[in-house]
Amino acid sequence: MEQILLINQIFLFLNVAVGCFLAFWVLLANPREKLNRIFFIVTILMVLMVVFASLGFSSNEPQQASIWYRLNGGVVVLFFIAAYFFSIYFPKKIAENRLLTKLVVILCSLLFLISVFSNLIISGIAEKEWGMEIIFGKGKLFYYIPIIILTLLIIYNLFKKYFVLTKEERLKVQYVLMGIFVFALANFIFNVGFTFLIGSVQFQHFGDYSVIFFLGFTAYAIVKRELFGIKVVLTALLVGLIAILLLLDIFVFTSQGWLQGLKGVIFVIFLYFGYLLIKSVLLEIQRRQEIEKIDKAKSEFISIASHQLRTPLTAVKGYISMILEGTYGQLAEKQVRPLENVYQSNERLIKLVNDLLNLSRLDAGKIEFSPELISLEEMVSDLIEELRINAEKKGLYMKMVKSLKPLPKIMVDQDKLRQVILNIIDNAIKYTNKGGITIELKKIDGEEEIKVSDTGEGMTKKEIESLFQMFSRATAGTQLHTEGAGLGLYVARQFIEMHGGKIWAESPGKSKGSTFYIQLSIHLDPELLKTKTKTITKTANDIF
Amino acid sequence: MKKILIVEDEKILAEMYRDKFIEAGFEVSATFEAKEGLKLAKKEKPDLIVLDILLPRENGVYFLTELRNDLEISSIPVVVFSNFDDPETKRTALRLGVKDYLIKTNYTPKEIVAKIKNYLK
Repeated sequence: MEQILLINQIFLFLNVAVGCFLAFWVLLANPREKLNRIFFIVTILMVLMVVFASLGFSSNEPQQASIWYRLNGGVVVLFFIAAYFFSIYFPKKIAENRLLTKLVVILCSLLFLISVFSNLIISGIAEKEWGMEIIFGKGKLFYYIPIIILTLLIIYNLFKKYFVLTKEERLKVQYVLMGIFVFALANFIFNVGFTFLIGSVQFQHFGDYSVIFFLGFTAYAIVKRELFGIKVVLTALLVGLIAILLLLDIFVFTSQGWLQGLKGVIFVIFLYFGYLLIKSVLLEIQRRQEIEKIDKAKSEFISIASHQLRTPLTAVKGYISMILEGTYGQLAEKQVRPLENVYQSNERLIKLVNDLLNLSRLDAGKIEFSPELISLEEMVSDLIEELRINAEKKGLYMKMVKSLKPLPKIMVDQDKLRQVILNIIDNAIKYTNKGGITIELKKIDGEEEIKVSDTGEGMTKKEIESLFQMFSRATAGTQLHTEGAGLGLYVARQFIEMHGGKIWAESPGKSKGSTFYIQLSIHLDPELLKTKTKTITKTANDIF
Repeated sequence: MKKILIVEDEKILAEMYRDKFIEAGFEVSATFEAKEGLKLAKKEKPDLIVLDILLPRENGVYFLTELRNDLEISSIPVVVFSNFDDPETKRTALRLGVKDYLIKTNYTPKEIVAKIKNYLK
């Protein structure tokens, strides 16, 4: 009995001290912020709630206990009003239902008066050997039902905004929900579990004291900008809960000295390993965060670097094209060719920068995927027109064979698919010196197929096998052209695979031309539509 | 005559696009800064704005946010034309209602003019 009182007092003192510290920590972090002020009020009410309950429990006279318990009941109601406002403002304000807010305030004020000044909720006090116990009155249900409704309303408010919050804000809500969960769990263990096991409510105050978890989590979520991942918190919680249970077991349920000593040693060993466990989880998360930071910095660097590289290339491309178009006066015939050469060289550099940018994003394991409904026929037709001039300069024909029936629109990432088809037709022109290129579109079952055939150099089987790998070029590539870095088809394969599609090449052999196929499903897999960011970690690892 | 406002900090590029748009029969005003661009948009009421993203001081996203919050000019169509190919920025710009987010190096001035004419139809 004395031991329970002592533990009770220690827990009470810790609760008050930590509670007050948290209240002022949050308030002083940003006194002008409404959320911080509301948390301050919530915490002070919580501390008062625990203090009044404890004073009621340890009073010497029933009359005195009744006053404390009634004050406790009243403060609980005030606490729920404050918690309701907290759910509106945390982590950022949502549009409140003003009528509902007024209703909550009026009803709870009424409930406060009833619980403090009438016998409806607390009708009397029973003296037990371990302390004073409440005898509930007839209005018990009228007290608990609004409290339960208010609790549900608070959780609903938090959940409702959860889905429109940013990742960091969601983590804050997770912290608060975790605090509520621990508080509820501890109450369940001490109020329901122990009552059932021992047949007495003498340990219920330990449930009240666990409110410090709720306050701690919430305060941390409000004040700190960067929060630990929920895994660390869960690990720490588990270790903490087991430690509390072990401690209770030693002091409350064990009477023999030698057994207490043995359990004490186990407790110390547990604490040491628990500490190691939390430390290792923390270290693991810190490492991951560092890697994420480096990845982000790398990605930003690539974006900025490619921007800086592209700017002069844009000026060269723009001015040369305008000179060739005659914007700055008629050109002499012999000036045209050198300028066209400059233009083409510049285009090669632009393509290289684009490929390197794509590659770096694939390497980072993340690349944006933004599908939209488009007409493949229109896209291919535009691309052919764009590239026709290059084919004609080499004396090659370029024709498009459309499907008899118009093809249905298809969900694709337009920019990426455009890049892939452009790359393949451009290669076909590059590696063909006689004849031409035929682009055929057709529907095969649930898929649309783009077939690009040329009458060019052709490839051996071995060359085809390594064609879609990085830095790979068929020998025709090394013999006829030296400009390609061998990145284009690798990137093309990644992009088509992002769509859940297929890309491959066929060739009857050297000097017999090549055919490239792309097949895309008309109805994109809904799983691919769900996420805007496609992670290709596996292929990123394959690269280096 | 349709009016175009170019917000572009690279002087060489701004001049180049201005030349091409004038040649294509547009009335062009140009500026290097976002704030100045907003002032010009209010004054000139262009039919379309061609906007770069990386600008000195306030960037293109700032420009778009301010533009959308100002009822007087919020309905002016904007085409982002930048070499800053950042997915996050692109998403933000599209959310702020831009017609398109084009990468400069992928288009000649002639192609850009054709695209802009298309948006103004």
